[in-house]
Amino acid sequence: MMEVTRRQTLALGAGAFLTDLLAAGAVRAAGKDTLTIAYNVNLPSFDPTDGPSAVNPTIQAIYRSIFDQYIGQAPDLALKPGILTAWGWNDDKTKLWMDVRPDVKWHDGSPLTPEDVVWSLERAGAKDSANPISFIWSTAGNYKIDGNRITADAIRFEPTFFMWMAFLTGYVLPKAYYEKVGAEGFEKKPIGSGPYMVDEYQGNAFLRLKANPHYWGDKPAFETVIFKFVPDATTRVAEIESGSSDITLEVPYEEFDRLKKVKGLSGVATPISDIGMIFITNKEPMLDKNVRLAAIMAIDKKAIVDRLLHGYGVPIETLETSEYSAFDPSIKTPYDPKKAAELLAASGYSPQKPVKFTIQTTRGFKPKDYEMIQAIVGMWRKVGIEADIEVYEIAKHFELRTTHKLAPAAFYNWGDAIGDPTTSTGFAMFGPSPHSAWKSDDLDAKIGPLWGEKDEKKRIDGWKAVDAYIAEQGYVIPLLQYVQPILYKSDLKVTPNKSGALQPTLVSPAA
Amino acid sequence: MTEASVSSFPAASGPNLATRRLRALLAEPKVTIGGGFILALIAIALFAPWIAPKNPLDQDLMLASLPPAGLASAEPGYYLGTDDLGRDVLSRLIYGARIALIVAFVAASLAALAGTALGLLAGWYRGWVDGLISRLVDIWMAFPPVLLSILLVAVLGAGVGSVIAAIAIIDWTRFCRVVRAETMAQAQADYVTAAHAIGFPPFHILMREILPNVVPALLALVSLEMGIAVIVEAILSFVGLSVSSDTPTWGGMIAEGRQFIHQTWWVFAAPLAALFATVLAFNQLGDGLRRALDPVLRR
Amino acid sequence: MIALAVLRRLLVALATLVGVAIVVFVLLRVVPGDPVAMMISPGASAADVAALRAHYGLDGSLLSQFAVWVRYALRGDFGTSISLHRDVLALLGERLPATLELATAALEFAVIVGGATAIAGAMARRTWAESVIDAVNGLLLAIPDFVWALALVLAFGVVWPLLPLTGRVNPSVAAGMATPFYFAESLARLRFDVFFDLLKHLALPTLALGLPLAAVIARVLKGALNEAMAQDYVLLARLKGMSELRLVLQEALRNAIGPTLALTGVQFTFLIGGTVIIERIFAYPGIGNMAIEAVINRDLPLIQGLVLVFAVIFILINIAVDLLVALFNPRLRHA
Repeated sequence: MMEVTRRQTLALGAGAFLTDLLAAGAVRAAGKDTLTIAYNVNLPSFDPTDGPSAVNPTIQAIYRSIFDQYIGQAPDLALKPGILTAWGWNDDKTKLWMDVRPDVKWHDGSPLTPEDVVWSLERAGAKDSANPISFIWSTAGNYKIDGNRITADAIRFEPTFFMWMAFLTGYVLPKAYYEKVGAEGFEKKPIGSGPYMVDEYQGNAFLRLKANPHYWGDKPAFETVIFKFVPDATTRVAEIESGSSDITLEVPYEEFDRLKKVKGLSGVATPISDIGMIFITNKEPMLDKNVRLAAIMAIDKKAIVDRLLHGYGVPIETLETSEYSAFDPSIKTPYDPKKAAELLAASGYSPQKPVKFTIQTTRGFKPKDYEMIQAIVGMWRKVGIEADIEVYEIAKHFELRTTHKLAPAAFYNWGDAIGDPTTSTGFAMFGPSPHSAWKSDDLDAKIGPLWGEKDEKKRIDGWKAVDAYIAEQGYVIPLLQYVQPILYKSDLKVTPNKSGALQPTLVSPAA
Repeated sequence: MTEASVSSFPAASGPNLATRRLRALLAEPKVTIGGGFILALIAIALFAPWIAPKNPLDQDLMLASLPPAGLASAEPGYYLGTDDLGRDVLSRLIYGARIALIVAFVAASLAALAGTALGLLAGWYRGWVDGLISRLVDIWMAFPPVLLSILLVAVLGAGVGSVIAAIAIIDWTRFCRVVRAETMAQAQADYVTAAHAIGFPPFHILMREILPNVVPALLALVSLEMGIAVIVEAILSFVGLSVSSDTPTWGGMIAEGRQFIHQTWWVFAAPLAALFATVLAFNQLGDGLRRALDPVLRR
Repeated sequence: MIALAVLRRLLVALATLVGVAIVVFVLLRVVPGDPVAMMISPGASAADVAALRAHYGLDGSLLSQFAVWVRYALRGDFGTSISLHRDVLALLGERLPATLELATAALEFAVIVGGATAIAGAMARRTWAESVIDAVNGLLLAIPDFVWALALVLAFGVVWPLLPLTGRVNPSVAAGMATPFYFAESLARLRFDVFFDLLKHLALPTLALGLPLAAVIARVLKGALNEAMAQDYVLLARLKGMSELRLVLQEALRNAIGPTLALTGVQFTFLIGGTVIIERIFAYPGIGNMAIEAVINRDLPLIQGLVLVFAVIFILINIAVDLLVALFNPRLRHA
């Protein structure tokens, strides 16, 4: 009812006028061979293996255009051959092997060799490495090259080693070139082996790429790709609406609904491997299991998704989304405000005498993050929880989390594009991990043995049991899986990427 | 205790002075209109719980994004409509006036207090005191204000207190410079020489003779500073750094409303209009004060 | 004598810079939000964190960190940006010209529009036209630059998509610029396509930054003009039969320009500060845009460099304004 009337009002307003105006704007922003992307984050650095930008999931779309990962990843998160054509463990998981694709060339025309691969791996795993994921890369060593095959010793069995090769910092860099120009020179003129080469870059402004003629894979659909860095969502909307850009992402859902109906524009919104969750810290009043469970049961996730996110979100019950390998649909944490009130009453709390704590949240970092927390606090208020909202910046969140000083409840988003339980439940919930908020021995005892489990089935089942235990104890509040809205000109074809990386290679002219 | 005054400014002394200044003020339309608006706003802010039609924090996702009264599909009782969480825009606007005014008055007063104290000292004692304070002002003014305020709020943590502190810490220099110059000028005046001759102690002269004569210039500046404070609060809210928790602020509303301008333009327009009107009122008031109290301009 | 005054001025400027450096250094070290905390990977140990901290030189005491920073800064090495992996000085050199172009454009716009408004207002003294100009100007004074920016994005992005909203230059046009000074270079190399593209991109941020300054200039200059017009020498000139326009332009303007210049200088420094938020909204690649990201990422070396650059600009503007005021001051000139 509401929806319809709202649209009517809209139609009466600027909508019709804009539709006419924009019909003419459906021509590609800068010619047929060029794709212009209004991108939501700035590219800080070209080295995909170093510093904070290396672990920023959004930037991977750019890195994956310029560089190749050891192992590729399809839009549905499945691993596929990349620079490595085949890989695996020996039977007792003490050795690894990998085959390097033979016909790959760097952007400067020189061949990519197994030496480059080994150099990249050793650099990533070195003791003084600035690679944020070096704790994974350092689990293998003693690399040997025999033709196109590389073998190595597993210093410690790491079940996700090869998965990381398709994930953050899993990129092959040019040994000879990097050693020649150094880190600073590499930032100035980076070369990789990916489908696009860097043509011109202006920080905070744009990155222009041109197709790599030597590329080993499918020829990219566009000769030129321009990433315009537009961090402001409203400006991005204006970019696509005015026709200055051909495609953009992460716009407000209301705007997405409006613009996808505009003539000449199309929209696609699919769930990505990014979730919204509320960390619970093991301090008062969260040490009371009744309070934790009541806080979870009082949240109507479906109402939040439907009303606040306009349906763009998938409620989740654990930290695993349906795409992850340890997803268990039998684990449920249903919405039950009555039960929540009862649990609180059992601990002596009521709406008149509420339990009080602080909840921290970012604001504008993720779509509707702050609004979502406001809605949740409203729901809590009704059952007898009075939460005070404290807004923090993302930098503060990281510091508080690593020093274990988060508030009793803290909203955050968690990305896990390889879908493994270690990178979702594992690092978020394991006490010794610097990223966990709930630290308790009972849980650590259950998680501990799973890290090095060599039997894959036993490993995944073990994580499912951990997820069930966490849900039963209420150690974390999973909220929803995010949906990524992408708007583009109708003469384009876009394959959404589950990892959330809007790679230019997934865009092509519509037939 | 009656205070002796040898002030010859402006041309007469005694109890008449206050009344005359007041009369001059009320004759200035900018003062009456701008001041009237601010007084009305103060009343609204003070009596917000009685004036606001709804609780500004109450959300009702079923009543989200309602248009203002008079438009199609508006709901009775929501005069300025609701935002995307179903909160009443008018009530949020009214409560937002509280934050805006608190920030304006407290931050401007603090900045004025600090700036005046240092300005008086520098202008009166000159020498190394002046040198030290002036260097400090130079250093301070060389910081880019927006960047410094963002940094300061990052240091102090989000919240009304931090915003106020940031504004006061950044903007005391404006007052210091003016008061210093004014004090130096006044110190040359005949009445100060006379006061010296009578044998008043220097500190007495500074506080009892010079300060009252600096006040007119100060008042105008305070009013302008209040307008600036309202804007700075809005900018900080806009960057997401101002007041945390549920408290509605105009800047926060602008930032929220901007994202959905096509769906709910009123959420954007209403606080923008309030911000604009308030800053305008402070500016006009400051302007009027300056005119009414400055004998040179009053010719 | 003059040389001595200039030398003194420069020494004071240097002292100011040192003060700024100390204040910003201390301030940054108490900012919560550790740059290293943002880089810690899942599974990192305490030793890994300590190693990272040492890697970025954040492990010593405050005093020793400052000493290290000063030692390198004196050699012209302002460190390496943590988030951008580049030499801070090189980064600033690349980005500063963009901001300078924007600020200069905004200043020119403000001087022309504000000056013209003031002269028109002074010509129309005591008529309804003056009241209208005053009223409109009063309204404009209450609109801060960031509100202008928001309004302009809406107006030109959506309602009237005429001008580019983001960036400094069209990516497909900008190819092959050798220096970061695009304006000067495009003119020198007769690349008018680039020149006009730059102008188009500058239009909106220039308006947002320039309009508030134009309103200030209009008000102050008009006030000064009106005051000057009441002076005896103007009356004398009028008796001699000089036209009103010439009176305003020749006689009054000369005397009104000094105080206006002084105030414009102060306001211009605010404008430079305003680039921080305006560049963000228009995705303009200057130092302001970089500054916000530096603060978000707690990129300490970069923030330090940025604040110092802002301070240098501020000091230079003030020196320039003082010189100009002295130049235009009739009393000083005739002395």
